[in-house]
Amino acid sequence: MEKIGAMLQQDGQRRAAASAVAFLSRHAPFNKMDPESLQWFAEKAQIVFYPAGNLIVGADSGTVRYFYLIESGKVQARQAGEVVVTEYSILSHGPGESFPIGAVTAGRPSTNDYTALEDTFCYQLPAEDYLTLMAKSPEFNLFCTQYIASLLDQSRRQLQAQFAQKASEQQTLNSPLAGIGTRNPLAVLPETPLRDAFQAMSQANVGSVVVVDGEQKPMGIFTRSDLLDRVVLAELPLTTAIREAMSPSPTSLNEHATAYDAMLAMAKEGIRHVLITDHAGALSGIVSERDLFALQRVGLRQIRQTIEAAPDVDALKTAAADVRQLSFNMLAQGIGAEQLTQFISALNDALTRRVLQLNLERHDFSGIDWCWLAFGSEGRDEQTFSTDQDNGIVFQVPPGEDQAELKKRLLAFALEVNKSLDQIGFPLCKGDIMASNPQWCLTLDEWRNQFTEWIRVPEPVALLNASIFFDFRPLYGKVELADSMRRHLLHQAQAMPVFLQAMARNALDVAPPLGKIRDFLTDLEADAPGKIDLKKYGSRIFVDVARIYALAAGVHSTNTLQRLRLSAQKMNIRGDEINAVLDGLNFIQFLRLQHQYLNGEPGRQGDNLIDPEKLNELDRRILKESFRQARKIQSRLKLDYQVNH
Amino acid sequence: MFGIKKLFSGVAEAASLPADVRAALTDWQARVVDDLESTHFLTRYVVLDIVTDGPDPERHRLTGLAATEVHRGVVAPARSMYLDLLEVADEEDRARRLTAFLQFIGKAPLVVFYAAYVGGFLLPALRQHLGLSLQPRWVDLAWLLPALFADKSHQPMPLDDWLQLFGLDPGEGRRSPNENCLALARLFQMLVVRAHSKGVDTVAALIEESKASSHLRRSH
Repeated sequence: MEKIGAMLQQDGQRRAAASAVAFLSRHAPFNKMDPESLQWFAEKAQIVFYPAGNLIVGADSGTVRYFYLIESGKVQARQAGEVVVTEYSILSHGPGESFPIGAVTAGRPSTNDYTALEDTFCYQLPAEDYLTLMAKSPEFNLFCTQYIASLLDQSRRQLQAQFAQKASEQQTLNSPLAGIGTRNPLAVLPETPLRDAFQAMSQANVGSVVVVDGEQKPMGIFTRSDLLDRVVLAELPLTTAIREAMSPSPTSLNEHATAYDAMLAMAKEGIRHVLITDHAGALSGIVSERDLFALQRVGLRQIRQTIEAAPDVDALKTAAADVRQLSFNMLAQGIGAEQLTQFISALNDALTRRVLQLNLERHDFSGIDWCWLAFGSEGRDEQTFSTDQDNGIVFQVPPGEDQAELKKRLLAFALEVNKSLDQIGFPLCKGDIMASNPQWCLTLDEWRNQFTEWIRVPEPVALLNASIFFDFRPLYGKVELADSMRRHLLHQAQAMPVFLQAMARNALDVAPPLGKIRDFLTDLEADAPGKIDLKKYGSRIFVDVARIYALAAGVHSTNTLQRLRLSAQKMNIRGDEINAVLDGLNFIQFLRLQHQYLNGEPGRQGDNLIDPEKLNELDRRILKESFRQARKIQSRLKLDYQVNH
Repeated sequence: MFGIKKLFSGVAEAASLPADVRAALTDWQARVVDDLESTHFLTRYVVLDIVTDGPDPERHRLTGLAATEVHRGVVAPARSMYLDLLEVADEEDRARRLTAFLQFIGKAPLVVFYAAYVGGFLLPALRQHLGLSLQPRWVDLAWLLPALFADKSHQPMPLDDWLQLFGLDPGEGRRSPNENCLALARLFQMLVVRAHSKGVDTVAALIEESKASSHLRRSH
């Protein structure tokens, strides 16, 4: 009788779990978990109701006994204790979100009070079952330990899927090798004399021949470039079997591997061909480096070559368009925001350098030390698709030269460069932060004095200028001049704590758009209701905080991620803590890039205004988490610089 | 008042029940109502749903039974039952399974949607196969919801309409009887909170409320 009872209960439990499984499979990270783990979660989790206003779990509830997953309703998290209870520490969670992950993992009391804001149903999983699930499911484990990093990854994959459609007219690096390169390549047996092999190559008009055994399995490869070293110079008679001259054990990949895998293999092993084999290991094709670049349509190397060899500004225009196209492709392939912005910056640098070189053909500054500087996002190596010019010049007057005369010549040169850059797609700066503006074409001493002045009298305009010009980076010319500016800047800034405090106050003027009840505040921009400016209320917050810490810690980098990483080291901020911040910034940058790509029109500057309602649920949650990270570093800055707003 | 009377009135099946079933039924009968029923929180409720092969108890049969426990404010899928009456091997097997189900229910008050309908199938089946006359304490959501949530609807409504009114996802397609139990359990949890605020603090009071509402709304 007991056995029957247990059987009926097992059946009931399995069936009752179905609705929970259905719910779980709609939400990250559960939708990525294996069915067995999901079923397990669904059978163990209890369903609990919390009427609006009721405390679910709090700092005073003792060691957390359950992991909670919101099924419906809304839960407010509020930081407990005497620590500044400001709007900084309140946020709300919705369906699909879980809490308190840190506390239940660590087996400690929660630091937040979680209260039902509306009538709320939660699944509650007992702590011991939660820990078992972490051991059982790698996806769940990843989710809990790398809360936002794992979400970020999933979002990137979703994006890849989203882009797949857009990129469908062209094959991408994600295409399987089965459809790429040459089918049925020329192949010979190992005993084939060299002469016969060469004749076959010549007849087929190909540069390589694969050596296969009786079962068509690749044994080696011989390419035209081997001819000189291995045959001619080695004085090998043409009657020799090709096995003596071939490169043995050639790299091969299965037809199902992707073009990306092939590219990786080529890069890793320094080879130009990868053989393709079928399920039985027999040769079915060959893919060359050229095939892969053709696949990308625009390859990195070609772009660089085109840029460096461009005879005039018109030719650069095409290259600049290619840079954009390639960046889009990379975004579609799921390259992270950090790499992508650096990549864009690197190619834009190459473009700018070539523009400078071309214009230098009409201007002679031999014997003069000068350097072209990039400011703002370009200076920080974090350019997005739409970016205008921010540049300047630093120079030194050689003895016997007239400063005013030299400056005039430099300004004339700079004006042409600014115009050329505008022509190839970097619009002129609306604020006139350009080298052709006499204000920003200065001698080393003038720059130093300017910096000192801004630091000594940190009035609003000075602070605004600091936020642009302190992120300078040398692009062309005498780099030492920029180094000297940097040393001066760091020295001055560190000697004036009042300046850093003023910068901190300024940086705290804008808060991330997190609502107390709603997820996001979308009414901050009067002319864009319902939208969030991801630059103003997102990335800039990170950028501003990073600048202050870099100046305080004497970090030379201008890149925000680098600044945060390096100053965190110097200031003993925990690694995982700073990584979460960096992930937050990366995600916001990623959304900006994605938005500029999907909404941008050719020839027009994209904006940074996104409508959070239009994001998918996952992205919305990560964005929320990213803003929380922004709030976190702001709180830290506030504390460190004793800013009381 | 809530006891179970065994009817011997010549029901042949009852006498022919296997020994283990008879022993289990005697045990079950000897059980007393939990004396911890001072509040809803402490009361062990069982949510019940049935499957039939048609709507009319006179002509159609009970084919399945599902139940889930609600206790100490928690609905636990792990404390659920499902009995498929179409799968039974023979009369003995059926009796055993029904008894096992009965053991799970214990003497708990039964939370259902339309007690008359559920009882119309369940009670004759128990009488026929176990020789039992069950007199459940029904907590009938169909009548309690309009009584306690008159602000939402004063009249009885289909279950899905209630779920939607409360912002609960009725799900797509047909729910299994166990999923139905969970949906009822959710409504019941909300109902208990409302009942408390109206001073309906015990299971006895809740059952009275259920009866009164049924009477009031039926006779108008």
